[in-house]
Amino acid sequence: MNLPSYFLADLPPEAELTAGLITEACQTLKRNGQQFLEGRATEGIIRVLDRLGRDWLAADFPFRQTVLREGPAAMGFSAEVLAAGLDQFFQQWTAENFEALLRQELGHVQRLDDFLHNDHESHLARSAMALGPRLLAHIAPGNVPAPALMEMALGLLARSAQFVKCASGQSLVPRMFAHSLYEADHKLGACLEVAAWPGGAESLESALFAEADCIVATGSDETLAAIRRKLPAATRFIGHGERVSFGYVTREALEGKADAVVERAAADVTAWNQRGCLSPHVIYVEDSGGGGGEEFAKLLAEKLEALEKIHPRGTLSAGDAAAIATRRAFYEVRAAHSPETKMWASRESTAWTVILENDPRFQISCQNRFIYVKTVPDLTQALQGAELVREHTSTVGLACLPAQTSELARRLARWGAKRICPLGRMQHPPLGWRHDGRPPLGDLVTWIDWEKR
Amino acid sequence: MSRSLAPENPAGEEEFNRLALALFAFQCGAVPVYRALCESRKAAPDTIRHWSEIPPLPTSAFKEYEVSSIPDGERTRVFHSSGTTGQIPSRHFHSGESLSIYEASLLPWFVRHFFATQPPPMKLVFLTPETAPHSSLVHMFTTVRRHFGTPHSAFAGRAAYDGSWSLDLEQTLAAVREAVGENEPLGLLGTAFSFVGLLDYMQSVGKRFALPKGSRIMETGGYKGRTRTLPKAQLRLMLAKFLGTAPVDVVGEYGMSELSSQAYDSAAGIFHFPPWARARVISPETGAEAGEGETGLLRVFDLANIGSIMAVQTEDLAVRRGGGFELLGRAAAAEPRGCSLQART
Repeated sequence: MNLPSYFLADLPPEAELTAGLITEACQTLKRNGQQFLEGRATEGIIRVLDRLGRDWLAADFPFRQTVLREGPAAMGFSAEVLAAGLDQFFQQWTAENFEALLRQELGHVQRLDDFLHNDHESHLARSAMALGPRLLAHIAPGNVPAPALMEMALGLLARSAQFVKCASGQSLVPRMFAHSLYEADHKLGACLEVAAWPGGAESLESALFAEADCIVATGSDETLAAIRRKLPAATRFIGHGERVSFGYVTREALEGKADAVVERAAADVTAWNQRGCLSPHVIYVEDSGGGGGEEFAKLLAEKLEALEKIHPRGTLSAGDAAAIATRRAFYEVRAAHSPETKMWASRESTAWTVILENDPRFQISCQNRFIYVKTVPDLTQALQGAELVREHTSTVGLACLPAQTSELARRLARWGAKRICPLGRMQHPPLGWRHDGRPPLGDLVTWIDWEKR
Repeated sequence: MSRSLAPENPAGEEEFNRLALALFAFQCGAVPVYRALCESRKAAPDTIRHWSEIPPLPTSAFKEYEVSSIPDGERTRVFHSSGTTGQIPSRHFHSGESLSIYEASLLPWFVRHFFATQPPPMKLVFLTPETAPHSSLVHMFTTVRRHFGTPHSAFAGRAAYDGSWSLDLEQTLAAVREAVGENEPLGLLGTAFSFVGLLDYMQSVGKRFALPKGSRIMETGGYKGRTRTLPKAQLRLMLAKFLGTAPVDVVGEYGMSELSSQAYDSAAGIFHFPPWARARVISPETGAEAGEGETGLLRVFDLANIGSIMAVQTEDLAVRRGGGFELLGRAAAAEPRGCSLQART
C-alpha cells in the first residue's frame, strides 16, 4: 500500500535522523496537541479507539493486511502468529472496556474532561480533575508490538501528544497503527509521531528527552538506568524493566484433562512466539515421581508439532536460530548422559523444543517456542526454584481445580507475582491490566484538586 | 599466503577421512560423555563412512563434563575458556604428549601466516601475561616465543589477583618506539581487546608510529563480556592509523581452548584451518551444511584434538566463503543461566 511519508518512520532507511529533526517534531507535536487534543472529549476519543479496534479485526482492513504481508520478514513472526496476536489484542478495544479502564483508573469516565466529584468529595465541596502529560515519549520494546499500541491508546485517553521511538527495524506495527489513526481522525493523527533508531543514539535521545514531559520506557534494567540518568529532573519516568513469567500446573488439573491443559500451555508458548515478558519460560508441573510431568511434556511436544502445521512459528534470523541450536546441543548431551533430562524437538528445524527436567531452578528460555517443563512436588519447591527471578516475575499462568485457585493465587501474590491468570491466557491480559503492578493510566496523569470552600 | 581448506588432492582427503574415522572410533570408546551422545544418536564407528557424519560435541559439554581420554594421573595441564565472571569455563585437559601434539599443530600454520613476508626470528611483544597456566593463548605465545622470538621478546600483559588481565601500555609503546628507532621489524600479538586498549591509549596521549617494514600484528578472539568492542574492519583501520600497518601486515587468529589447531585469516578476513583440521558452517535452522555466503554455526573437525574430542560444535557464527569462513561472532550462550536475565520484555 502506498502511504504518504507522514511519520519519521516512513522515511526511507537512508534518510538520516538528526537531533534538529527530533526537536522540531516534538515542538510540532506539542503545538498540535494544544490545538487538537485539549478540547477533545473522552467520549469522542473512545469512539475513535473503538472504531480502530473493529477496523483492525477486519480481514480486509488495509493496514492489517500490510502488517500481515510485511510483518513476517520484518519481525520474524509468521502471518498466522501476527493475525492471532492482533485479534487477541484488538478484541479488547471496545468502548465498554475503555470506559471500564477509565473508571478503574480515575474513578469516573470523564475525569480527564472536567472537575468531578464523588459523593464523599461532594460532601467536602471538593472535586478533582486529571490531566495527562503534554508530550509523552515512548521508548517501545522491540520484541512484541502489543505493548506499544496499548501505550499509544493510553496516551490518547490522557490527551497527550506522543512520540513513539521504536527499536531499529521494529516500527512496522506502530507505524501502521499511526497511519490508521491518522485516517480515522486526522487531528488525532497529527498529535502522534513514530520514529525508529538504534537504542542509545545519544544526540537523538537527548533531543527527545529535553522536550518530553513524561517518558515511558521498556528495556533492560541497564537501558532504563541509562535513560533515567539522562532525563531532566522534572521529567517523569515510567520504566518497565525485564520481566519473566511461568506456568504452574497442579496434578489434580491433569487428572483426566491433560489434553485440555496441554492445549492451553501450547497456546501460551505459541502466542507471539513466546517473545513477550508475559510468555512462560518454564511450566512447572506437579509430579512426585508418577510420570505426570513427562507425560505432560510429551503431549506438549505433540501439540507444538501439530500447531506448527496450522500456526507456524515463522522464519528466525540466523542468530536467533543459532541460540536455539546451541541450547539444544547442550541439552542433547545432558539428556544422553542423564535420565533426568529429556528433550523433544522439531526435526530439521528449530520450530519448537520441549526440555523436561526435574531440577526446579528457573531457566530463561531462548524463546521462539523453546519451553522448559520442570517437575516439582509442590508450589513451595517451584517458588524456591524461581527465587532468583522473584523480583522480575510478571505473570503466573495457573492450571488447577477451581477449589485450588484462591489459595494458590494468594500464595503467588505474597511471593511476588504481579499477575495471575489461567494458563492459556498469559499473553492476553485484559485492557485494564496493571503492567508491573502499577495503574496504567493512573501513573500517567497528574491530579488537580479543587477545594471550593 | 593462506590456502584453501578444500582438499588439494583426493589422497589428502582420503587420508583425512581415514584418520578422522580412526580417531572417532577411539574417542567414542574412551570418552564416556561422548559415547553416550553417539549412542543416543545411533552413531557408531561401524555405521559412519565419512568424517562429516561424525557427531560433534558442543563446546558447552566441555563446561559440564570431563571431556578427555587422558587418565587422571597423566593430566598435566588444563586450558580454560575465557569468559565473563561467574560463568563456568570449558576445560580441556592435556598431558605431556597431547601438549606436544598441540605445539606440533600450532607451529607450522603459525609460521606460514605470521611470517608470511619476513622470516623468523623477530622481536615479539605479546600483549598478555607470561604466566597464565589455564590459558591456551598464553601457552601458544610462550611456544611461539621459544621458537621464533629474539631474546628481547617480551610479555607486556599483567595478571591481577582476580585473574583479570591488563596491559602495560608504556612497556608496549617503549617496544614500538625502540623498533622504530632501530628500524627493526616488530611482531605484536594479542587479543583484539588488548589492541583496542592500546589504541585508545595512543589516541588519548596523541601518539602515532609507523612500524618498520616487515612488522606483523596478530589479533585474536572477541570481546567476551567486555564493555568496549570494535568491529574487525575498524580495528584494522585504527591499527593502520596509529601503528602504520598495511592490511596485509595484520593477521587474525581464531582459536579456542577446546581445540588444538588454529585458523588464520587473510587480508580479506577469510579464515582457514590447516590441512589436518576441517571447518564446516552448519545452518542452525536445519542442521545441514550452509551454502556459500550463508550464515551458520562453525563446526570444526580437528585431528590434533586426540586426547579430547575431534569433532567440536562451536557457538560461533560464521559465513562460508569458498574453502574458508568469515567469522561473525558468538551466538547466544548455550548453557542456561538461571540468574542472568537475557530475555527482553
